[in-house]
Amino acid sequence: MAEAYLRLRDVTKSYDGKTNAVDGIAIDIARGEFVTLLGPSGSGKTTTLMMIAGFETPTSGAIALDGDDLTARKPYHRNIGMVFQNYALFPHMTAADNVMFPLKMRRFPRHEIRARAERMLALVGLTRFADRYPNELSGGQQQRVALARGLVFEPDVLLLDEPLGALDKNLRQQMQVEIKRIHREVGITMIYVTHDQTEAMTMSDRIAVFHNGRIEQVGSPLEVYNRPASRFVGEFMGDSNFFSGRIDPARPGWVELDAIGPVRIAATDGSPPGGEVDLMIRPERLRLEVFGADDGVRNVFLMSIEDLINYGDSVLALGTACGQPLRARVLGSEATALCRGMSVRVSWAPGDAHILPRSSPLYPA
Amino acid sequence: MHAVAQRGGWRTETMAGGLMVAPAVLTIVALFLVPIGYVLMLSVSDPSWSLEHYRRLFTVPLYANVMLGTFRTALIVTLACLILGYPLAYVMARRNDAVAVILLVAVGSSFWTGFIVRTYAWLVILGNKGPVAAAYAFAGWGQPPQLLFTSFSATLGMTHILLPYMVLALYGVMRKIDPSYLRAAESLGARPFAAFRRVFLPLSLPGVVNGSVLVFTMCLGFYITPILLGTPKDMMISQLISQQIEDLLAWGFASAIATVLLAATVFLLALYNRFAGLDRLWG
Amino acid sequence: MERIALVLAVVVAIFLVAPLAIIVPMSFSTAISFEFPPPGYWTGYYARYLSDRSWLDATANSFIIACGSMILTLIVAVPAAFGFVRYRFRGKGAINLVMMAPLIVPHVVTALGYYGFLSLAALTGTRAGMIIAHTVLSIPVAFLVVSAALKGFDRNLERAAMNAGAGPLRTFFAVTLPVLRPGILVGALFAFLQSFNEAVVAIFIAGRDAATLPKKMFESIRLESDPVIAVVSTLLTGAILIGVLVSLLFRQKPAAAGG
Repeated sequence: MAEAYLRLRDVTKSYDGKTNAVDGIAIDIARGEFVTLLGPSGSGKTTTLMMIAGFETPTSGAIALDGDDLTARKPYHRNIGMVFQNYALFPHMTAADNVMFPLKMRRFPRHEIRARAERMLALVGLTRFADRYPNELSGGQQQRVALARGLVFEPDVLLLDEPLGALDKNLRQQMQVEIKRIHREVGITMIYVTHDQTEAMTMSDRIAVFHNGRIEQVGSPLEVYNRPASRFVGEFMGDSNFFSGRIDPARPGWVELDAIGPVRIAATDGSPPGGEVDLMIRPERLRLEVFGADDGVRNVFLMSIEDLINYGDSVLALGTACGQPLRARVLGSEATALCRGMSVRVSWAPGDAHILPRSSPLYPA
Repeated sequence: MHAVAQRGGWRTETMAGGLMVAPAVLTIVALFLVPIGYVLMLSVSDPSWSLEHYRRLFTVPLYANVMLGTFRTALIVTLACLILGYPLAYVMARRNDAVAVILLVAVGSSFWTGFIVRTYAWLVILGNKGPVAAAYAFAGWGQPPQLLFTSFSATLGMTHILLPYMVLALYGVMRKIDPSYLRAAESLGARPFAAFRRVFLPLSLPGVVNGSVLVFTMCLGFYITPILLGTPKDMMISQLISQQIEDLLAWGFASAIATVLLAATVFLLALYNRFAGLDRLWG
Repeated sequence: MERIALVLAVVVAIFLVAPLAIIVPMSFSTAISFEFPPPGYWTGYYARYLSDRSWLDATANSFIIACGSMILTLIVAVPAAFGFVRYRFRGKGAINLVMMAPLIVPHVVTALGYYGFLSLAALTGTRAGMIIAHTVLSIPVAFLVVSAALKGFDRNLERAAMNAGAGPLRTFFAVTLPVLRPGILVGALFAFLQSFNEAVVAIFIAGRDAATLPKKMFESIRLESDPVIAVVSTLLTGAILIGVLVSLLFRQKPAAAGG
């Protein structure tokens, strides 16, 4: 693990003295990393970002950048850039003036200010629009100006607060690629806040999943997706199937699922040695078995299909297995024969499932 | 002044905020509340300490009638403004085209044109050499009845002057009524008038209350128009005050009348505040 | 039904505007007193207005007093709006009531109060006294307008400025004030117009030396029937109309945003 560049230690924030909006979070971010703070509204991710920026002061805990304690420092004395959710472009200044503003405030050499701003506008592809006012620019263009303004003074870290929320889907995907490109080219440490798990997965080096003011897991996108540390993370990161059951320490490699029976699991899963567990399988891991071959390795469910939802590239089959709800995602090309009321066999390999300690569901049935 | 969490806590915030509102508050207290207090004091202290003026005001029929008459006139003006203003505000609020803009300009210009100018306009119109008289002559009806210097002319003038206030108050509320409510009603089978009666009208009631309270309270204390267009025979409170001051130099009595007027206004607004919150009036 | 409403609306609008429209031809009339239709047309009364000392003085007084009270009002009301909207403290309800008091009290009561109060300080019949009275009367309106502008202010703009390195003072002058400027200008305009149009208090306390246009018009109407009144009315109405149309143009500008 690379040397910690931005370090949050036991950071807590309470507004009313009774509840903690952010409850003792800690995270180490390496130089040049793209880390996403992901979570539902009210989970504390934006508050955390605001504390890193300096617009909120932690009630307790410390924030340090490259060894330098930032916790109580005013925002204008930090070398941190920020892109706001509604862009916050100064309406009375042109795009170029907006981008030059931080250079003037931070007293860059006068003869360099214009050149640096122009370079930055070129980086985001807006050279032609330098003299336009914000209300003459589209949402995507305003977004780029905000990016340029946040980067132009070469901050140590760039914070982005749900910057793409107001854009439509295609534009959002375009901008995601843009932001990644800029990240690669500039190499700056970026901290990104979003509630959109797909966005987090496609853009981040690591994801910190927030829930009720705490970080439930920090890890690479694939880690967080395939090996969630808690049920919340599992359900939040994507569509999932959860089954409760228990592991008998005397029978490693097997889990006894409620209502379904014993299934094989991968022994070296890091699963608890015994006791009550939850088993998670992602819908896309379930494979349609047409010929009914039982190879003695894969687990097989008999699924009774109640509904089919066609997404174009894939089909989501909703149904039950042994009375338990089951969701399976099948490639569109393989799903042509499926229809409601059918019973099909779906199989999965032991390594496709993930074992977690038992906890209550996010959305009770 | 900025978004950083206040480190000093509530005390510095109170001091800073208090410091900023202090000049305005002190100005109003010293240069407004004190003069008003002076009037209140005069009403019971001139020429000597007593409640004599109030007794006179409420028991002598002449004066009691003035007060009742003023309330009656204010009621009539408010109703007239409501009936005339509602359709105008409705069209302005529901449309977004050139018509709405033209109407807005008309109402806006009337709103900002001074009371005196508009009162003068009615003096001209209702005068015995004015357009009304000319129309009568043209139609062969001879001389029109005495229109000017009657309670009719005063009422008409006040209605004309206060109408923009009613319209703007109604407009403010109507503008915020989401058109999709009416579309929903129509899609559910309501015909236009039914949709209006059952959906738009109830939603516009806050504006009706706003406008009515505004116009009524302004009418109670109206000075210019009753004096220039009205008649001493059917006086309003402001005419009484003017008469007592100018003709009789009766400071104490005039102050008492003014105090009653103030009390009535404050009472009405307090009542309104109870039910609706004063901020809505100038929201 | 919409058509009925439209017809009614137009009729009422005409009712609103027509009386003022009648004044315009009146101002060009040759008649000595109110007469409609006018017997003849000339611009003689316009010339009379421009050469009559008392009318010109009244016009000058109106402008001076309106400007003076506008400036004083802003000086007092803008900080008050900031204090009220941006800070938390107790007693805001009471302070709000005090700020609105000049709006609540009927003008004739205010006029009476100022007559007694200012005569004690020998300020009746002076421009200073008028400026004081009009300032106080304009404070609520300016306060409301600027407060509304502040409430709609995007705090992220200030955060963006601070994030860019601007301290609190620089943020205020470089971002807050410029963005707030339209709101403050509207407040100033309202204060100016309110003072310019104000009649009742002027009638009571302006005397002859500080007489404003409304006061002079009021007396002219009562005492003589000076045709110059029509001239002044036309000029005032015209100025207001131009002002309203110009303000409309300003409102359309921000809507020019691209896709």
